Amino acid sequence: MMQQGQDGSRPATMKIHPYLYTLLFLVLAVILSIAIGSVYIPPLDLGRILIGWLDRATFSEPLKTFAFILTGIRLPRTALVLLTGAALGCSGAAYQGLFRNPLADPYLIGVASGAGLGAVLAMSINWPYSFWGLLAAPVAAFIGALLTVFLVYTLARVGKTVPTTNLILAGVAFGSFATAITTFLMLRSTGELHRAIAWLNGGASQAGWEPVLAMLPFLAMGLGILVLSGHALNLMQFGDDQAQQMGLPVTRARTLILLAASLATAAAVSFSGIIGFIGLIVPHVIRLWFGADYRRLLPLSLIGGAGALLLADVIARSMIAPQELPVGIVTALVGAPFFLWVLRRAKNQGYW
Amino acid sequence: MIRKHVIALLIVPLLAACGAAQTSSPTPIPTQPTANTLPSATANPSVTLTDGLNRTVTLTGPAQRVVSLAPANTEILFAIRAGSQVVGRDETSDYPVAALSLPTVGGYSGFNLEAIVALHPDLVLAGGINTPELVASLEHLGLTVYYLPNPTTLEEMYTNLETVAKLTGHETEAAILVDSLKSQVAAVDAKLKPLSFAPTVYYELDATEPTKPFTAGPGSFVDLLIDRAGGINIGAELSSQWAQISLEQLVVINPGVIILGDSAYGETPEKVAARPGWGTLTAVQTGQIFTFDDNLVSRPGPRLVDGLEALAKLLHPDLFK
Repeated sequence: MMQQGQDGSRPATMKIHPYLYTLLFLVLAVILSIAIGSVYIPPLDLGRILIGWLDRATFSEPLKTFAFILTGIRLPRTALVLLTGAALGCSGAAYQGLFRNPLADPYLIGVASGAGLGAVLAMSINWPYSFWGLLAAPVAAFIGALLTVFLVYTLARVGKTVPTTNLILAGVAFGSFATAITTFLMLRSTGELHRAIAWLNGGASQAGWEPVLAMLPFLAMGLGILVLSGHALNLMQFGDDQAQQMGLPVTRARTLILLAASLATAAAVSFSGIIGFIGLIVPHVIRLWFGADYRRLLPLSLIGGAGALLLADVIARSMIAPQELPVGIVTALVGAPFFLWVLRRAKNQGYW
Repeated sequence: MIRKHVIALLIVPLLAACGAAQTSSPTPIPTQPTANTLPSATANPSVTLTDGLNRTVTLTGPAQRVVSLAPANTEILFAIRAGSQVVGRDETSDYPVAALSLPTVGGYSGFNLEAIVALHPDLVLAGGINTPELVASLEHLGLTVYYLPNPTTLEEMYTNLETVAKLTGHETEAAILVDSLKSQVAAVDAKLKPLSFAPTVYYELDATEPTKPFTAGPGSFVDLLIDRAGGINIGAELSSQWAQISLEQLVVINPGVIILGDSAYGETPEKVAARPGWGTLTAVQTGQIFTFDDNLVSRPGPRLVDGLEALAKLLHPDLFK
């Protein structure tokens, strides 16, 4: 349906095995992410540790340190980055379909600015150093993100419908408002400024498995719904009226997809900070390569987003090792030229 | 200053990225399995202290492999002669020169947990500029972390010196250091005794926007030290430690002395004089503009006392002849 006119421009194999390609890419990215870090672990040791870890074996030096770095730092980070990338890629695809706008990304209606405001608000309070005190910022970010989406949605409502134009405008306006308050708070505070910058750049999440476990249920719920919304999004591409006539309860479907995408994005952003570009670019690359059928675009963007962010993270931590770059810089620095290359190579014009 | 940090955050990695495009192969850090060479703690009983985050930190003996996460901490460690026990530093720790040869474990753009773990530290010394999340992460990895709170007075800074001394087993050296710092301060106080006139001082932190530069407000060490050095900090009236002041206000206050804490970023008296509108200031007309090493007053370590002395000499050269 949507991929009409592209059939001649791509070899047929690209269409038969898109999952194979993206999954292969993801596996490669996972391997790189586990293998590369500022501390070099020989591949043989790497394998031994991973196998031993699954058997819950204990190691002696020097393997002990390697095992610790691998299981205590690298694996949880790989998992966190993978989930974050998956959430951003899939939500990005859903947002673009929902708004029928190629510029849409998961932050379009204020998830990022709301999360940022929530986090900075929480940081302006001097929490005790405790489990809950440390959880204050991510929890506040999560609540801030969801509250913002709810507010924008309510503001954009016209009677029983929620026009997408209204959503975008309300989202942009409220987003600017929230960002202004965030900036104001950051300028007024002194001690916590560094922490806020670290958080906004995605560098403040705690190590270990807790963040991964905390965001997993929200991602499972949100992404589960999104992956199943392909058909609804396909219908929405014909416009609200037509989709309605084809039997889609447009407003209800839109609300559900919006909620699911926001839930996934909010959970990801709360623990990983605001990482741009992945949610915008990955769906486009998938669309250019494998067509615009949302039933396939959504799961492929999920896999592709995870792989792309993992790769960006590998670059971020090895480029100027032992220092680390904020991953958001890498996604744009490497992602933009790559996307332009894909765009130039694409023979099919007006793929959107 | 604040903005410089933000800008630095964005630009420095970009530049670094351009410069070091092909360094993605992992840098092997030699793992040194000497972590277990703690001194046979017979003479040294274990140390238990409460840190700046109200955490109880226990060491079985003086720390022998310390990673410092803040420039002030590095300066403290070296000042109390624990420099040989330091095995890693943050990227901004550039003093003393001996510290530069230590491996870095990250900084503004984020800390590298792997690199910290690989150094096998028996103590990670965090500071007020580090986030509680970082402390939690390191604690989670089983490392011993002490969070040294930012002092607000010279006395608190001395206490920090003594705390780090307890952690590293250099209490005697720290006591000697604190004594000499106290007498250095006393000497400055004595010189300033005959003081009859206190000039108003504008201390510049950042003038990226010359019409509304940042200056040091109340509660900052700059404010405290200017006051102690016989000056009146015009920023004391503002409402936060890093405060923005408008050029209009500055013209009305008309400070007697301008100190360029941002000279490390390339600000010079000539540039200040050339800024539109700044020529009306008396300090500009009389040449009372001075460059200054901001690290002396922004890092809460022992060099604050040098900062005090430098400020006093700058504000009252006649008394220090």
